[in-house]
Amino acid sequence: MTTLEKLKEFGADTEEGLARCMNNEEFYLKMVDMGIRDERFEALKEALEKNDLEGAFDMTHALKGALGNLALTPLYRHVSEMTELLRAKEDADYMTLYQEMIDYRTRLLEMADS
Amino acid sequence: MGKKRDYRRTILVVDDEEVNRRILGMIAEPEYEVIYAENGVTAMQQIRAHASMLSLILLDLMMPEMDGFEVLESLRNDPVLSGIPVIVLTSDHSAEIKSLELGAADFLEKPYDLPEVILARISHSIALSENSRIIQATENDALTDLYTREFFFEYGHQYDHHHSDLAMDAIVLNFNRFHLVNELYGRAFGDRVLKKIGGGIREIIEEAGGIACRYDADTFYIYLSHQQDYEGLLKRIQQGLSELLQAPEVRLRMGIYPDTYRSVTLEQRFERALQACNSLRAQFGAAFAIYDMEMHEREVYSARLLEDFEEALKNKQFRVLYQPKYDIRGSKPRLCSAEALITWQHPEFGRVRPDAFIPLFEENGLIQKLDRYVWKEATLQIKNWKESFGVTVPISVNVSRVDIYDPDMAEYIMELVEENDIAVQEYLLEITESAYTDNSRQIVQVVKELRAAGFQVEMDDFGSGYSSLNMLTALPLDALKLDMAFIHNISVDNKEMRMVELVLEIAEFLGVPVIAEGVETVDQYELLKNAGCDIIQGYYFSRPIPPEEFGRLIRQETEGQERIR
Repeated sequence: MTTLEKLKEFGADTEEGLARCMNNEEFYLKMVDMGIRDERFEALKEALEKNDLEGAFDMTHALKGALGNLALTPLYRHVSEMTELLRAKEDADYMTLYQEMIDYRTRLLEMADS
Repeated sequence: MGKKRDYRRTILVVDDEEVNRRILGMIAEPEYEVIYAENGVTAMQQIRAHASMLSLILLDLMMPEMDGFEVLESLRNDPVLSGIPVIVLTSDHSAEIKSLELGAADFLEKPYDLPEVILARISHSIALSENSRIIQATENDALTDLYTREFFFEYGHQYDHHHSDLAMDAIVLNFNRFHLVNELYGRAFGDRVLKKIGGGIREIIEEAGGIACRYDADTFYIYLSHQQDYEGLLKRIQQGLSELLQAPEVRLRMGIYPDTYRSVTLEQRFERALQACNSLRAQFGAAFAIYDMEMHEREVYSARLLEDFEEALKNKQFRVLYQPKYDIRGSKPRLCSAEALITWQHPEFGRVRPDAFIPLFEENGLIQKLDRYVWKEATLQIKNWKESFGVTVPISVNVSRVDIYDPDMAEYIMELVEENDIAVQEYLLEITESAYTDNSRQIVQVVKELRAAGFQVEMDDFGSGYSSLNMLTALPLDALKLDMAFIHNISVDNKEMRMVELVLEIAEFLGVPVIAEGVETVDQYELLKNAGCDIIQGYYFSRPIPPEEFGRLIRQETEGQERIR
């Protein structure tokens, strides 16, 4: 499992995340682990590949809620931007945005598994 | 009694993201019982399963299957569920107005605020909703300062989900025929009696724990921690009244549904306590009854009878029988009229006794339909006999309390009589004595109208009620019908026989004939005849019989005669 130090290094607002979890560090880290392993990351890719922007919006919207609560700030911000683009059905390079998002997530997963 | 109580309320967290659900759970669980749902469909299942104990719902809007808006809409359209406050979980400001329109109480934005803020908003929404529900009901009864019935049930429900570990008894306390206290001693005195009863009840609930209300005029509902000594309870309340009333005047009845396991709803438990209380109707003085299996079976049986009523009416399971009345004033008894009586041939239970279904139908008003059915059959029968035998046999029918309150009653009977070309004098109406004492002004008015139209009115079950002599002289009536209970026990010079003689004197004074019903033996017949009774009805002459059989009695009677009367 990851640590508070690593998450801080990543840019997470761990103080906020911890406070939300009643300052229970173990619980917070467990939730972070659960959040970054969310299957919606994979489902989002599928939706984008099919150019299903509505389905993709549902995924980012759900991810945004959880990532925000976990205070994983850089990843949360990125997902929020994607959510707003998808909500407006903007013509954007979603696959590139997705890849950037996955890079953040991969870093978090590596931190968790190291 | 509005004190804050140490209980745990239940809240439901609905979100499709497990992380969100678990964080909210982490925050709320120290203070609440928390249950969870991951989409709208399971949320609705949880809500329905826990409806009566759910204090609040935290609801995410965007979810697969059924979203939060649909859940809000389903709740709003359900009279029971619409009272549960909902806090919407959202990250979109745009969704807030729509949620508000659909009845949401508040919002929590994602990412969530600090736990303290969330808890404060949850508790605020719950308090608002509970207070508004309680304020809707006027809290206290002005006379006794106990709760009013609306507030009582509202509070009873809250008491239940916050004290689910306590065994509670549902108790109904009623002062039988309280109107007599008012009539004898005046309303102000009656109020003092009710206040005293209320005071006694309050002492008991303060000591043992519980709540109570004045349910209506002279009936109190008490929700009390489980007791062992009910007689002691009743005695305490009774003793409180000793300075105001003599012991035999204290007609307190107490019905108890002791419940240690909360098997039925609060309302049902009080229904059952009431049933136990009503089972004491015939008792004198103070008495109590505990709801038992026999009552339960009776309740189930009664429910079936009520359920089957319409079907029975449609399928002609109700049959009207006729019991002859004989005029015994001459040298030979003479058939003079008949009473129409109803029987029910139930396809499953067989013959249902009238005393099993009539009080039941009286209670919920179905009796009106049944009475009208009998009235109609009786008019057709008078017409039918007239055509077959060329004679008129007047028939008396029963008029129930509810009929008297129906403004169309007189008109309905008039139409029946006119349609069938019958003289109003041939149609006799029997009204039970206790209906007179219940609401004498209303009934005197109705009876006056009926008599002005030409109908004859007989006071039924005379002697079972509480008519005062004064009341009798003011009452318009054409005959007194002695209560069966007297006849049953008469013998030479005993108390019952002297009672009958007294009634005969009253009747003579009023200038009306006396009808004795329930006459079974030759001894009873002789006694009544010698005492000067005018008309006899009972097994001594004949049981109630079907119209065909009655036709034979008419034929016997009319041989060589033109008219019965």
